[in-house]
Amino acid sequence: MLVLGIETSCDETAAALVTDGKILLSNKIATQLDLLQKFGGVVPEIAARRHTELIGYVIKEALDSANKTLADVEAIAVTAKQGLIGCLLVGVAAAKSLSYALHIPLIGVHHIEGHIFANLLSNPQIPMPHICLTVSGGHTMLVFVQDYCQYELLGSTLDDAAGEAFDKIAKFLDLGFPGGPVIDKLAVRGNRKAFDFPRPLLKAKMLDFSFSGLKTAIINAFKHRIANGETLPLEDIAASFQEAIVDVLVSKTLHAALQRKVSAISVTGGVSANRRLREVFLETCRQEEIEVFFPELSLCTDNAAMIATAGYARLRQGKVDDLNLNVIPNIPLEVKGGR
Amino acid sequence: MKILGIDTSGYANAVGVINGNQTLADFTFEARNDSLEKIVANIDFVLKEAGLSLEDIEGFGGGLGPGSWTGIRVGVTVTKILAYSTNKPVSGVSTLEVLAYQARNMSGLICPIINAGAGDTVYAAFYRSKDGTVSRAGEYYVGDIQGLAKMIKEPTVFIGAEAQAYSRLISQALGSPNGIRAIEDVPRGSAVALLAATCLENGKNDDALSLAPLYLKESTAKAFVNRYSRSAQVKD
Repeated sequence: MLVLGIETSCDETAAALVTDGKILLSNKIATQLDLLQKFGGVVPEIAARRHTELIGYVIKEALDSANKTLADVEAIAVTAKQGLIGCLLVGVAAAKSLSYALHIPLIGVHHIEGHIFANLLSNPQIPMPHICLTVSGGHTMLVFVQDYCQYELLGSTLDDAAGEAFDKIAKFLDLGFPGGPVIDKLAVRGNRKAFDFPRPLLKAKMLDFSFSGLKTAIINAFKHRIANGETLPLEDIAASFQEAIVDVLVSKTLHAALQRKVSAISVTGGVSANRRLREVFLETCRQEEIEVFFPELSLCTDNAAMIATAGYARLRQGKVDDLNLNVIPNIPLEVKGGR
Repeated sequence: MKILGIDTSGYANAVGVINGNQTLADFTFEARNDSLEKIVANIDFVLKEAGLSLEDIEGFGGGLGPGSWTGIRVGVTVTKILAYSTNKPVSGVSTLEVLAYQARNMSGLICPIINAGAGDTVYAAFYRSKDGTVSRAGEYYVGDIQGLAKMIKEPTVFIGAEAQAYSRLISQALGSPNGIRAIEDVPRGSAVALLAATCLENGKNDDALSLAPLYLKESTAKAFVNRYSRSAQVKD
């Protein structure tokens, strides 16, 4: 079954074609990086305007590059939950129109459910149940994936998302936007133990995260030196900051995995592309005899292939939406056994 | 031609179907935060009322606003994707022109007026009617009522959802209600479709994929950056 996925929950206009939730035929993403760099972040109204301009072209490109036409598409999956409301609604308006015009099923997908399926698309062998850490500029979430489309939210960030902390520290150090790749690159040449930055909530038994204190600690440690015009050891700061974040992410995820006695961990979202995070996860999980999986790099950040894949799984379980489908900007991932 | 017209730029959303000069079905519904939820189901309802299915539609008309930015995006996206997926022509029309067209039988200058959401700012334009069509005289107006009042030099009929209240303010600003009339009305889907039909018959099709709302105002963030940033001038 050929599913067209659509994703417009934040600043990326994306469309993708996936067959049977397994075979990726095309994965098109129009980024708004130019706007992000101009404004230093996502401006919801501007992002929504861009989505409206691009959505049709991106869908057409996804079809053309897979040598398919709309007549070949058998279902439409769209991100309808979790994101910027004005952005989500452009994708859902397009998806509904396609579903209505083509007489094919419409499936609304939760954005985080999409990230969980990004890794299942890359690694279909990930066993159930498993623990999924979704970590990006907008989310830091630990989910117990009991089975396909059955989730239990174990923890999430109480303030900044991990990727947001990368962005804010990069902005503070004047390294540009987005922060993740820049810090990853700088950190390779830095000393991870140069600075002992705080590991927020590391010792707490809870599975929630907090990163705003870490960010503030770094800003307080260096703002006077910046004001005095001193040259900062950027590589060392990047490496030590990244190490603090990686420590927290890995240890909490591992804690969840041991608590739930699962044999596998899935790490998804934009930050899952971080090289040090992957390295530490692989090393730690090897010691604990837990398998760890990462999506291929093109499926780490927001994309529509993951939405098509999740949509197909929902469709197989009869979880189909009607033409009254609405967007919900802020809603937890549905709980275990729920609809 | 059987044309489907859609406008979701204001609190009153509209869907209508015409065949030639005949209106087959026309439905206006209130949608304050739920345009997205209602629009496609209501298109289906209107088509059924007209005894048609989407496959019978030969062209689409989309109200481009101005109005609620979020609202317009719903209607414009639905219009463009319906046109694209059925491979039928589309024409976008200004919602101000739709309102003016609905007042085409009135004498004098026609001024559609739409609340712009921020304080007492309005979107407006002036139209002249001739032989059942309307044509715009001058630029679109975005500003306060007092500024609009200064532009009134002849008998004018105001049309829009809040035309009564606006025309009273304009009469006060002018010091006399002479020649000022008001029609309280909202855009109708059939009027969107009729205007689009004229464009399509004259070969003035829009490209479905690039169809975009008529915002008339830049976003607050863009205005902010353009005002304060020396390095980056943000253009569309």
